[in-house]
Amino acid sequence: MPVHDLGYRKWVGKRNHQLIRPLFVARSGITLIWRRRMLKLLLMVAWLPIAIPAIGIFCFEQGVTDVTYRNVIIRTLQGPMERPDLATQMLQDPVSVRHEVWSTLILGFFRVPQLYSMVLLIGLIAPLLISYDLRSKAYLQYFSRPLSPNEYIVGKSAVIWFFLGMITTLPGLALYLLGILLSPEISVVGMTWDIPLRILLASVALIVPTTALALSYSACTVENRYASFAWFATWIMGSVAYQILTNAPRMGRGRRNSIDMDVDTERWLLVSPYHTLGKVETWIFGLDTGESSVWPAILILLAITVIGTLFVRSRLIARLSV
Amino acid sequence: MLGPNGSGKSTLIKSLLGLVRNHEGTGTVLGLQWPREVREIRDRVGYLPEDDCYIAGLTGIEAVAFMANLSGLPKTEGLRRAHEITDFCDIGEEKYRGVEAYSTGMRQKLKFAQALVHDPPFLILDEPTTGLDPDQRDAMLRRIRTLAREHGKSILLSTHILPDVKAVCDQVVILARGKVRVYDSVENLSKPAEPTLNVMTYGKKDAFLSGLDKAGYTVTAKADGTLKIIGTGVDQVSSVWDIAAATQTSIRRLVPAQNSLEEIFFQAVSAAEHP
Repeated sequence: MPVHDLGYRKWVGKRNHQLIRPLFVARSGITLIWRRRMLKLLLMVAWLPIAIPAIGIFCFEQGVTDVTYRNVIIRTLQGPMERPDLATQMLQDPVSVRHEVWSTLILGFFRVPQLYSMVLLIGLIAPLLISYDLRSKAYLQYFSRPLSPNEYIVGKSAVIWFFLGMITTLPGLALYLLGILLSPEISVVGMTWDIPLRILLASVALIVPTTALALSYSACTVENRYASFAWFATWIMGSVAYQILTNAPRMGRGRRNSIDMDVDTERWLLVSPYHTLGKVETWIFGLDTGESSVWPAILILLAITVIGTLFVRSRLIARLSV
Repeated sequence: MLGPNGSGKSTLIKSLLGLVRNHEGTGTVLGLQWPREVREIRDRVGYLPEDDCYIAGLTGIEAVAFMANLSGLPKTEGLRRAHEITDFCDIGEEKYRGVEAYSTGMRQKLKFAQALVHDPPFLILDEPTTGLDPDQRDAMLRRIRTLAREHGKSILLSTHILPDVKAVCDQVVILARGKVRVYDSVENLSKPAEPTLNVMTYGKKDAFLSGLDKAGYTVTAKADGTLKIIGTGVDQVSSVWDIAAATQTSIRRLVPAQNSLEEIFFQAVSAAEHP
C-alpha cells in the first residue's frame, strides 16, 4: 500500500507533439538493449579497431614532415593497402595525397572491422526488437496509442541506427577529427571538408538497408533465434557464394592474384550483401576503381530498404487484424 | 457489451480504435469523426486489451510510464503519473518487478493502469476481470464504478461475466453474429413485459391460489415453487397480502419480478442463431 494513497486524480497538462512520440519507442528500445552487459562489451570491443586507421593517420601526418614515418606509410601503401600509385605520389608530394590516404584509411575501417561488428551487433539486437513484440503481443499496446505502424518502424529502426551510429559514424568522425588535430596546419580542413559528409553518407548506406533487412527478419517470426539465424546466414552464404562464383575460373590454376588471372571480381558482387555494401561505400569515398557501375548495387540496397520496410508494415497490420 | 465468442466484440473495439481496416460506415467517438480521426480517438481512449500482452524487459512502472509517454505525457510527468496510477490500481511494490514475472491477475491490473495513465475520458475494457481472484475482482469493479460515477469516465465494458455487468453497467449492448441484438438500459431490460410479483409461501398454497383466482389474478407456478402473479404491480401488493391473510397463508418472500440478464442474453443469442 502506498504511504499516502491519493486515489484517482485527473491529469491536466500539455502533451508532447505526436511527431516526437516514436522517439519514446526508440528510447525504450535503447534502454532495454543497454541493460545487456554483452552488448556494452561488444560496443567497447567494436571501438578497438579504430586504433589501426588512427595510427595510420598519425603516421601519415608525421610523414608529411618526417621521412621515417613517410617510409612507413609508403611501405603500407605498397603492401597491405595494395595502392602502389599512392605510394609513388606520396614520395613526390605527401600533401597532395592526404585526402585519398585519409579516405582509404577510413574506408578500410568501414569495410572490414565495422562491417563485421555491424553484422554481429545487429544479429544480437535486431531479432529482439519486433519478434519479442509479436510474441508478447506488445503491438496491441503500441497501437492502442496514437502511433502508426510507420512510426513504430521508425522507432524500432532508430534503436539499431543509434547503436550502429555508435560503432560506425561516431568512430569515423572521431578519426577525421584526430586527423585534423594531428595535421600541421588548419588549411587541412579546406582540403578534407567533404570527408565527414562522405562518412555520414557511407553510414546511411550501411545502416539503413541493413536495419530494414534485420527488422524484416525480426518481423517474420516470434522466435528471435530464427531471425538471428537468417541474418547471419544471409551474410555468410552471400560471401561464400560470391567467393565461389568469383574464384571458380581460377580453380586448379595455381595461387595467383585476380588481376593476373583476369578474374572479374565485380560480376557476382550483388549476390553478397557484404560486397554490395563495399562497392557503394567505396564509391561514396570516391575510391571506386571498378569497371562496373555502382548503380545496380545502390538499387539493390534501395530495394532491400523499401521491400523490408513494407514487409514489416504488412506483418504488423496482419497481426492486428487477428 | 455482451456477446458469445465470435460475435464481433473485439473486432468492434479494434475498429473503434482503427486497429482493423473498416470497409464501410462512419460515426463519431467523443465527438470525433470515426474512422477519419482514429489517431485523435486513440489519444483520448484508454484500452485494456483482452489478450495477455506486455512489453518484454520492462518493469511494471516502466511499462506504465512508457504508455504515458506514448500518449504524449512528458518523461518526468509520465513517471509521476505512472506511480500515482499504479498506487490507485493497487499494484504496490510489484511495480518494480519485470512484467514477464507477473501473474495473470497482476498483468490485468497493469493493463488497467496503462489504459488509465493518460486520464482518458473514455475507457474500453475488454474482459477486465479475467484472471482475477474474487477479492481482486471486487476491487477492480469498485475501481471501474468509482471512475464512472465519481470521475465522469465513459466506460465500455466487454465481458462474458454477467454479474460484472449487473454490478457496474447502466446500459447493455448484446452482440450476436456481428449485429447489435439488444441495446437498452439495465433498468429497462430488467423490467418484465408486464408487471409481475413473485411470491413464495410456507406450507400448502392451494387455498392461496384459489383466493388469487377468485380475485381475478393470473397466476403461474415456477418449478421452484415460486408463484408468478402476472399483471400485478407493487401498487397492488396490499390486496395480495389481504388474500394471504384470508386464506391463512404465510408469505415467505414477495418481490416484483425482474428479467434476468442471463435470460435476456440467451434469448438474444438464440434468436440470432435461429431466426
